[in-house]
Amino acid sequence: MIEQRFKCPNCEEIATFYGNPGETKVVTCAACHMKGRLTISGEKQDDAVAIEVSHLKKVYGDLIAVNDISFAVKKGEIFAFLGPNGAGKTTTVEMIESIRTPTAGSIKLLGKDVKTQFNDVKEKIGILPQEFHSFERLTVRETLVYFLNLFKKKADVDEIITSLDLTSHKNMLYKNLSGGLKQRVGVAISLVNDPEIIFLDEPTTGLDPKARREVWGVIAELRKKGKTVFLTTHYMEEAEFLADHIAVIFKGKIIAEGTLEDLIRTYGQSSVMHIKKCVNAPEVIEMLKQEGYDEISSEGNGDIAIKIDYKERVLDILSHLRHDCIEYESLDIRRSNLEEVFLRLTGSKLTEDTA
Amino acid sequence: MNLKIIWMDFVYSVKAWYRSKGGMFWSLAFPVILILLFGAIFSGIGSSKYTIYIQDQDQTEMSMMFNATLNATKLFNINIVKADVNVTEFIKEKNIKSLIVIPAGFQQTIQESHTNPSARVDLQFYFDPSEQTTTQVIRSVISSILQEMNKNLSQSRTIIGVREISTITENFNFIDFFLPGMIGFTIMQGAIYGSIERNTKYRKDGILRKLLTTPITRTEWILAKMLFMMFLAALTTALITIIGILVFGMTVNITAWVIIVIIATSFLFSGMGMLIGRFVKEEETADTAAGAISFPMMFLAGTFFPLEQMPGFLQTIAHVLPLYYVNEALRNSMIYLNQNESLINGAVVIIFAAVFFISGVLLTKWKED
Repeated sequence: MIEQRFKCPNCEEIATFYGNPGETKVVTCAACHMKGRLTISGEKQDDAVAIEVSHLKKVYGDLIAVNDISFAVKKGEIFAFLGPNGAGKTTTVEMIESIRTPTAGSIKLLGKDVKTQFNDVKEKIGILPQEFHSFERLTVRETLVYFLNLFKKKADVDEIITSLDLTSHKNMLYKNLSGGLKQRVGVAISLVNDPEIIFLDEPTTGLDPKARREVWGVIAELRKKGKTVFLTTHYMEEAEFLADHIAVIFKGKIIAEGTLEDLIRTYGQSSVMHIKKCVNAPEVIEMLKQEGYDEISSEGNGDIAIKIDYKERVLDILSHLRHDCIEYESLDIRRSNLEEVFLRLTGSKLTEDTA
Repeated sequence: MNLKIIWMDFVYSVKAWYRSKGGMFWSLAFPVILILLFGAIFSGIGSSKYTIYIQDQDQTEMSMMFNATLNATKLFNINIVKADVNVTEFIKEKNIKSLIVIPAGFQQTIQESHTNPSARVDLQFYFDPSEQTTTQVIRSVISSILQEMNKNLSQSRTIIGVREISTITENFNFIDFFLPGMIGFTIMQGAIYGSIERNTKYRKDGILRKLLTTPITRTEWILAKMLFMMFLAALTTALITIIGILVFGMTVNITAWVIIVIIATSFLFSGMGMLIGRFVKEEETADTAAGAISFPMMFLAGTFFPLEQMPGFLQTIAHVLPLYYVNEALRNSMIYLNQNESLINGAVVIIFAAVFFISGVLLTKWKED
């Protein structure tokens, strides 16, 4: 008999059930009384969950910054908390990190209550705060050694320097580093105690695309090392590139949650094939319509866009084009992305300031 | 409490400070430049009106004429001391800088001088040698008045003279007054601005949030920073004192009490910096606020100018400024060897330090709202 935590899809209440691995049982949510089937997995839950947030709320006067949110982060995954500026991302992550005090709700880090047992988990977490700038006149290595000395559990600083590709900069003063390098040092600082969970609050904000890619590479490496990463971001490409699990937060509420595939499947549009500068576009459009492709659009300059419901259709269209020797300049397939998911969910673009 | 963490933080603070040209300048070079500059040029500057006390033990027409002549120069605020008051006690008690005694028999001696060629009477001029400019002005005015009077009485000899009595046994220069003030001022600046940086810049940069999630406690962090502040204070005091001794040939008395006052001063102004940083959260604004508080305090608390040269209401203000007590405690202990006075002022510094530091620690926090 093992313990299984389960989050109600209706009200997000987290409840605990007991059963044997593989056993399926009908369960009822204690909060909203919704019934559903639950299959007990073989995994022991205490070991599987790194962060557990339940009915978390933060109120500032009349403003509800975080409005009754619940979620769980599994060990070893990169969990992206995606939302526009002002959505409540940093307020949430800082409540989990015990920097802010919640108005209501509970938070557990590695099974410990943040409100009462935070000191017990300090050694096991690493944090990169939002817009973090370290001590200006310490070198990279000195900075890491400084933070290393605050912990009992110590990682190998030189190994961190090597793994984050900071070797050639280790003797440079922090103030002389570029933005990308500073963020890499910030991530490095969060690793000095070899933590189990790493919180990265908007680690690439303000960086140029190249520096952003470099930081992504560093974060992706953390997953390979089995670390749990809680990442807040307002860049959908970042969440798409890095996250195993994404929670979309908007105006203090989690409005969607799941893997990238889950979110696109549930909230996104179908993929679209674009054929550029097709030589005899009107005939091709007619031919495809006869084959049952209803949603085709053309701008009259030879460009054609065809909605694709499932992937087999790609091969079907390609074989038609080849069979009829149709000439065109280029062809690409664009699948739905998080930006579209967000647009559909909120009616606004993620990259706009929707706060 | 983890002493290793405190020591480690201290060592890194020293390293970072050593690498900061600005930090080095303001904590070491700036006070040295000021000491050299002010020490060299300051003695020549005086104020337009000076306070002087007069005890007329003669109470005759001639003595009153002298008073009237002095008053006619319009250079002095003249205060009359009753004839039966013991001037030595009075000077000590009221901390009087300049006092003239017209002795009994003043008029009679002058009248006798017509028949007795050896008749002579001396005014007694009590002065504070640390008030070099004031003393110089009073001395020259008295001298001119007496010269004129003597000329009228006799063409060839001095009938009315002046006997100068220093209110302190040693002779002091402006630099003696200025050096302890400079030590207090430099410690104040370092402590206030250092404290503000830690409470505004480090907050903005996320360093405080980061530390909050590590095992270091606020107590350990504050103690480490105070250790650093005391290191800076010790360095500043040593440097300024060495300059005083080597360049100006001063005799400086460093006692355990001076060290206690300096430590209390570091705590006092660190606490003040914390409070400024608590209520003015943006770094630049907090720096301006610190300047707005420390700059006038520097002038009003008798760092550069003796309080006696200032109008009465400013002197009253000085008595509520913590830096005034720091200056007085250090000056009396290091230079004038007036330990009782230093103990009283130092005790006020310690009380101020306790109030400001404890309020600063209690009111500032690492947590966000």
